[in-house]
Amino acid sequence: MPVDRRQAAVFAGALALRLLLLGLFPSLPDLLTGRVEVSTPITSFKRLQEGLFLYTRNVSPYDGGVFHQAPLLLPIFALLPNARDFPLPTALFYSLVDLINANALITISDSGQAVSGRLFSALRKHIRWDGVSVAAWFLFNPFTIATCLGRSTGVFTTTGILYALSNAVCGNSLNAMLSLGFASYLSIYPALLVLPLVLLCYDRRAQGSKPSSGASLFAVQHLAIFLLSIAGLLGISGLIVGDFSQFISATYGFQLLVPDLTPNVGLWWYFFIEMFDSFREFFLGVFWLHLAAYVGGLTIRLRRQPLFIITSLLGIFAVFKPYPSISDASLYFALLPLYRHLFPLMRYTFFAVSALLYATLLGPAFYHLWIYAGSGNANFFYAITLVWSLGLSILLADTIFAVLRDEWEQENPEMRGKEARQV
Amino acid sequence: MATPAALPPLPFNPSRVRSYLLRLPLFTRLVVLVIIVFWLLELQKVWSVIKWGSLIPDEIGIGSMYRLNTYPFIHMGFFHAFLNLVALTPLVERFEAEHGTLTAVALFLGPLSTFPAGIYILIEKLLLHSNTAVVGASVWVFLLLGSEAIKTFKSNPYFSLGSYKIPTWTSPLFACVFVSILVPNTSFLGHLCAILIGYLFGLGYLKVFVPPEKILRWIEGKLNLLGRLPHYISVDQKTYGRYGVLPTANTMGERGTPMSYLGSSQPAIRKLRGNPYFLFVHLPHILSFLCVLAGVFWLLLLPLNDYSRQTYISENALLPGQVHAYFSGSEQNIFRGYKRELEGLLPNGPPGEGQERNDVEFTPDISDKIQSVLRASGLKVATQNYEYTSAGITHQGQNVYSIIQAPRGDATEAIVLVTAWKTVDGELNLNGVTLALTLARYFKRWSLWSKDIIFLITPDSKSGTQAWIDAYHDMQPPSVQPLPLKSGALQGGLVVEYPFDHRFESLHIVYDGVNGQLPNLDLINTAVSIAGGQMGIGANLQEMWDHDDSYEARLQTILRGMAKQGFGYATGAHSSFMPYHIDAITLQTKGDGWQDEMALGRTVESLCRSLNNLLEHLHQSFFFYLLMQTNRFVSIGTYLPSAMLIAGNFTIMAIALWLRTGYYMGPKANPSVDAGASQSEEKLKDRAATPQDKGERKAVNVDPKSDTNGIIERQLALPLSFVVGLHLLGLIPLFIFNNLSHKYFTTATYTFAVVDLVLPLCLAVLLTRGFTPKPQQYLLMKSFSLLLLGLFLSTLAILNFSLSFMIGLLCTPLSFVNRISPHSRAPLRYALAFMGLVFLNLLSPPVALLGGCWYTGVSVETVLTQAAFGWDVWGMWTQVVVWCVWWPAWVIGCALLGFSIF
Repeated sequence: MPVDRRQAAVFAGALALRLLLLGLFPSLPDLLTGRVEVSTPITSFKRLQEGLFLYTRNVSPYDGGVFHQAPLLLPIFALLPNARDFPLPTALFYSLVDLINANALITISDSGQAVSGRLFSALRKHIRWDGVSVAAWFLFNPFTIATCLGRSTGVFTTTGILYALSNAVCGNSLNAMLSLGFASYLSIYPALLVLPLVLLCYDRRAQGSKPSSGASLFAVQHLAIFLLSIAGLLGISGLIVGDFSQFISATYGFQLLVPDLTPNVGLWWYFFIEMFDSFREFFLGVFWLHLAAYVGGLTIRLRRQPLFIITSLLGIFAVFKPYPSISDASLYFALLPLYRHLFPLMRYTFFAVSALLYATLLGPAFYHLWIYAGSGNANFFYAITLVWSLGLSILLADTIFAVLRDEWEQENPEMRGKEARQV
Repeated sequence: MATPAALPPLPFNPSRVRSYLLRLPLFTRLVVLVIIVFWLLELQKVWSVIKWGSLIPDEIGIGSMYRLNTYPFIHMGFFHAFLNLVALTPLVERFEAEHGTLTAVALFLGPLSTFPAGIYILIEKLLLHSNTAVVGASVWVFLLLGSEAIKTFKSNPYFSLGSYKIPTWTSPLFACVFVSILVPNTSFLGHLCAILIGYLFGLGYLKVFVPPEKILRWIEGKLNLLGRLPHYISVDQKTYGRYGVLPTANTMGERGTPMSYLGSSQPAIRKLRGNPYFLFVHLPHILSFLCVLAGVFWLLLLPLNDYSRQTYISENALLPGQVHAYFSGSEQNIFRGYKRELEGLLPNGPPGEGQERNDVEFTPDISDKIQSVLRASGLKVATQNYEYTSAGITHQGQNVYSIIQAPRGDATEAIVLVTAWKTVDGELNLNGVTLALTLARYFKRWSLWSKDIIFLITPDSKSGTQAWIDAYHDMQPPSVQPLPLKSGALQGGLVVEYPFDHRFESLHIVYDGVNGQLPNLDLINTAVSIAGGQMGIGANLQEMWDHDDSYEARLQTILRGMAKQGFGYATGAHSSFMPYHIDAITLQTKGDGWQDEMALGRTVESLCRSLNNLLEHLHQSFFFYLLMQTNRFVSIGTYLPSAMLIAGNFTIMAIALWLRTGYYMGPKANPSVDAGASQSEEKLKDRAATPQDKGERKAVNVDPKSDTNGIIERQLALPLSFVVGLHLLGLIPLFIFNNLSHKYFTTATYTFAVVDLVLPLCLAVLLTRGFTPKPQQYLLMKSFSLLLLGLFLSTLAILNFSLSFMIGLLCTPLSFVNRISPHSRAPLRYALAFMGLVFLNLLSPPVALLGGCWYTGVSVETVLTQAAFGWDVWGMWTQVVVWCVWWPAWVIGCALLGFSIF
């Protein structure tokens, strides 16, 4: 089977590249782990190791206020040998997680849900990449590689989301809900995806020959599964860490209330540094509301393409999340090639990509000037994170425009290829 | 419509002004343009246009006759130029409309400017015996007024004011008088001369100088001027008399040439919008070229007073030179004693032959002696051994250092005073080391230090400080020992070099760090102000021994500073401190004067007192600057645009190429390519569409263009992988040149020059044969390569301005190198490609290195050994830029030329 051979080649190449980088530059993982662009307080591998140290010594991992990740990661990582002395097993583990993610991407791509679903069918569905290309795009994306080598625990959330999607497009709505529950358990924000995901599952079910039960019943069932899965995971976590309330406040409280203002590629840290304390609660509320508000709007407007809603939401999260990192951006970039048929309709790709490239290079340079050379200041780095967010937002807006244009052309076939202006 | 009715109508109709301006004939436009150009030229201060072209009676000789013609074009300033233009334009326009363009050219460039000038010179020189220079187009204004006045006189001889009848021909004279009274600095005599010639011309005495119409018509016919030149007024078109109908209105529309950038008129731009070839091919080239020019020009402006600033001490706590320095008197005896003790340990014995002592190594005996001296002064002493291996050469030695613990501090902050046994030029720094020992003993007795003072004595300037400072921050490689004794955060570093026995004249301040990092400007300012203001010792920068503060000297200082910054090597023992954000400078004694070691000691004492005052780390002043004189600098905001413009030129070209690949593929003249391309595209589409059912395919397969919204599909895989692959390939030479033994460096450079010659051609053959890329893909390759280059260079401009500027300049040809279209004639194509390749090969990294070495007279091996040492020890990354930014971009440029051969 030629396809399988190609897939094997891509996977082997990706694995070899990661191990090669590790072998050639043994200090690279530690360097990347320390970079603010890769590791945030909630995904940092260093902090995970601290938690692990406390956990293996039977102290609550949340003592000391360094570790803020889900406790289920601890027993998993306790199985691996110490990453400081034996970096290879950890690197291998993370590379395998990447490959698993790529496998999920292949499933999603091959299902064709991105180009035609129950309620829509794209006009240019012949312009598309096959699953292996999409997987290669993901695996050889420098951001993905940096995340993998930087051992950010964000990749597990990525796995959860991608498996939720791949199960949903295959019709396994139960597994999809469980996966999303796992992702939401690790970091809260995937819970916002539950609505479009239920839609996706419902569309998939309705597409099948099986006579579907009522829509509301379906939604309630799946929400219940989702909540139960989270409850189950929380229960297990409670068993692992004795003190339940400390665990909740150290993980979810930390993610919701954003007390750590270490610089990252997002927009929150600088804003909250500058904020007077009396306004903090209010703006926290506003920021979260802003993040959540996209779900409703996009779900209503793009009802016919639930997978695209999820993709766009992931892009929005990569910009507006409290602790974003390049791993979130890499997840968005992984899903974008599914929409290859939209690329001809996009208008600012080159500009957006240039802005992202500039930000990628200038970000570390400005960070260096600020932190190490001492000749710059925080505004330098913040300005670049703004450019980064701008690049991502342009890309997002452009894809959404392309989708709307595609729908519009379907409704008005006489307008195909004509100039149109968005007002 | 949009204007509310309440507004009064405008006093003049802007559309009429516009149409008037659009109808200006050719010669008038040229005159206006030349005047503006000369005015712009006057803005620079290097070459005085006024001095060059004005009509100065004493300067007129055979060689400077050109002044008789140039002076009307030159003006004294904006208002002079503007007023004259306003007065002149209608007059010349009328003249040209009446007489035709050719006649106007012949007259204005000939008799109408030389005659007034001649008369003026005769009167001014022979009668008045003075020498007043004149410039400006007002001579033409008055000349034309004079001739017009005569014409008016013929038809309307008088106008009456009451009972007086004033002849109309006198009106220019009145104007002339009024102008001389109202406007200062006008040449009454010059205007009079012009009016005189104007009268003569009006009366018809100058008719002989008007070229005969027959000849003009012949020239016009031969050259087809009417068809070629826009806004040209033919001999036959000219109107007789003021109210003749101007024929321009209908001729304008006929001539469709994409004309005159000078007019910059609206229809011209509108026409350009419809001219994709210009928009996508020419315009980016022009813009890129302008960016490069502007970048270089910007740099040349920097030394001017308007763009640079006087230095100033920004950190108030420093208080340079506010304390008395007490280092003198009996300390000199101690200095002599220590020096004698150290001299006794030199192999050649006590003094005398200073030259041969330069190769004295820092032996353990000397180290022991220094330690015992420092211990005897009551300081804590420690040593550190280190060893580095680079390019097959081992550098090893032992650092000796001691710490004065601050009587008034808590050991959280420290100042370092470094003396190297060998200066950075390899000379024996005996006086410097002795001075450090004396100062250590002297400082120990003061009770006013609030920071620890560390005295570091290293065997050599290149590796010793690096080993010490790395170990101070626990960042040392395994071959370097850790420090047994440490103090607080280092606030500043001073390196003292006094490598000869006689007295010195001035201090040379060296400040460049590794990778072009610079110390805070406050530190340099403090040193300059203490040396110059308090001690009366002159200070020099960048080996500019006689700096006369002229433009050239300033520019030279900047360029030397940029060269050092760009190469990024350590210029002294102080350079190693910079990566740790510790500001440090080297003080070198230079020249033969009357300053002795005590004066140097007092300077160092005063500097230490200033640093001792610091309340926090130096942060106030600038970290990015270019110094052009000890007291003048430009800051980053002023100079950065220069490198950014050069980097921007690549980005502009990349964007333009990207747009071009999407919207415009070559002129329609060769539709075969287009058709071929679209056919193959069609085929691809068909293949992609076959699995789907046929009915759907029909709907899909309308027109490839409408399918993608008028944008041509780009095929990115090959260009992307080619560009990325070449950038990764750059790691190979990087690795080779940093790990080779120093013996092979010369051979390797020559080998690499040859490899560079062959590699792009091989790549071109491989790609053309293996993949048969489409024309679009060549453009995409160039686009990506230039995008990356622009990206890297603009990032680099922030970290190391000079390096980015230099690499940018060396890469500028790459913006303009294209694959030559295979539709051009083969011999021409081969010749062009060959010439381009030869030219590019002259700018390849190894050839540039060889050329630079040949020019400076340094051997390639030395340079590369130094570079490898920099990479291994100092953490210098100039090589990375050369091999991973410059080289790949260069190879792609050459490969593009190579593609046009195969």
